[in-house]
Amino acid sequence: MIEFQNVKKSFGDREILKGISFFVSKGEILFILGTSGTGKSVTLKNIVGLLKPSSGNIVVDGEDITQFSEDQLFAIRKKCGMVFQHPALFDSLSVFENVAFGLKRHESLSENEIRDRVHESLELVNISGIDDKLPSEISYGMQKRVSLARTIALRPAVLLFDEPTTGLDPITTNSVNQLIQDLSRKLKTTSLVVSHDMHCALKIADRIIVLDKGQIVDEGSVDEILESQSELVRDFLLEARAGGES
Amino acid sequence: MTYVSHLGLQLVSFFDELGRTVLFLKDILKLGIKLDVSRKSVFEQIWRVTVQSLPTTALAGFFVGAIMAVQFTLQVKEFGALGFLGGLATSGTFREVGPLLIAFMLSGKVGAFTAAELGTMQVTEQIDAIRCLGANPMKEIILPRFIGIVIASFFLLAFGLMLSVGGGVLVGIVFSNISPEEYVRHIPTVVTFPSIAGGLYKCFVFATLLATICTYKGYTTRGGAKGVGRSVVSTSVATMVGIVIADWLTSLTAEAVLMFFIRG
Repeated sequence: MIEFQNVKKSFGDREILKGISFFVSKGEILFILGTSGTGKSVTLKNIVGLLKPSSGNIVVDGEDITQFSEDQLFAIRKKCGMVFQHPALFDSLSVFENVAFGLKRHESLSENEIRDRVHESLELVNISGIDDKLPSEISYGMQKRVSLARTIALRPAVLLFDEPTTGLDPITTNSVNQLIQDLSRKLKTTSLVVSHDMHCALKIADRIIVLDKGQIVDEGSVDEILESQSELVRDFLLEARAGGES
Repeated sequence: MTYVSHLGLQLVSFFDELGRTVLFLKDILKLGIKLDVSRKSVFEQIWRVTVQSLPTTALAGFFVGAIMAVQFTLQVKEFGALGFLGGLATSGTFREVGPLLIAFMLSGKVGAFTAAELGTMQVTEQIDAIRCLGANPMKEIILPRFIGIVIASFFLLAFGLMLSVGGGVLVGIVFSNISPEEYVRHIPTVVTFPSIAGGLYKCFVFATLLATICTYKGYTTRGGAKGVGRSVVSTSVATMVGIVIADWLTSLTAEAVLMFFIRG
């Protein structure tokens, strides 16, 4: 579904991705774990063309998108919905208008169909009755859910999550993680989650990639990661156990 | 690093930024020519900018007229030509001081607000979200704001200039002891079509400059809250400096056009 082939990305003199290669299969939940500043978000932004790789290739659904123009990327962005680290809701639009934003521009749906799709998407993230609220009038956790609803409203084949649980309390974190798993199963989407939360990755990931200083240091199924000898992975596992016990 | 090489780098960075701003304007105009923009969004922006800035512009316009009338009173009184006060003060306001001072007011109000708004959208990933939802941020948020600011600023500047006449009339009554009728009597004689056209030309250029700079600075904001602060400050500085330079250029070009078409 998605394949990175020796992708490098630099900003000026700073090389953030140092030639990473991996693939994500259809229907899979893949976690990319790593500490801050290791290039996790840069990896995601390359998939939707918000950033361009300095070298290497990115293949999405059989198409090499590396040299795609902004117009060509529109189709890819419809296919790959991205949920940002910040909720990134449009301040001046209501919850309903936020979720309907992509639908009004992409789909030739009637007003009634848009309304139904918006409500359906909000229900999938367990939200109802806040259509007319502005983003500033709802909690941060709710904003994250609305952001997710806005992305899934377009029914993308791939969901990209950039640190979906950052800034959330433990209870909301659990519910968002559950939501990612449920949505992936219900909507049959492929999910790529960038995070530093090993505890959550162990719970819901099909496969985990560990990134450090722009390079993949380990990759495998949950069981394989649990047996990893990488020092960084051991540190993550220790942290996850400590987090799980507390 | 020596002072000279530092200055050289600053110059390169300045021209780089200038080039990027021009290319940004080119992208806006390319989209604008196609008229591929939501009319509702444009009207919303016109309304927002107008409502936001009407009191400030009215106040600035009124006092600009009043200041000009005070200054001209001192000059024309010596020659016993107080009857020409209204005409001279209004002509000076329309041609030069009015557009300049009102544009400064708008740059502080509309320019800073727009740069802060777009900058916040950029650093909170709202602009990336627009792109990820398959829409073009230039079309969705930049073009409506650009058109809205140009049209609203143009109207506001013109409105401010009209109010400047009111300020002049008041000073005429209170400070110069001339009646409103006497003040306005020579306005049509002195304030000719070229004066009005020159003032409106300046209004249009200043509004376009303001809209370009504030949307560009906001759209290219990087670096969180600090970055937004930097964008607001650089918008204020760039618009002020840009307006002064544009004032000089528009004065030159307006004069050249006047010489060519009217005076032969």
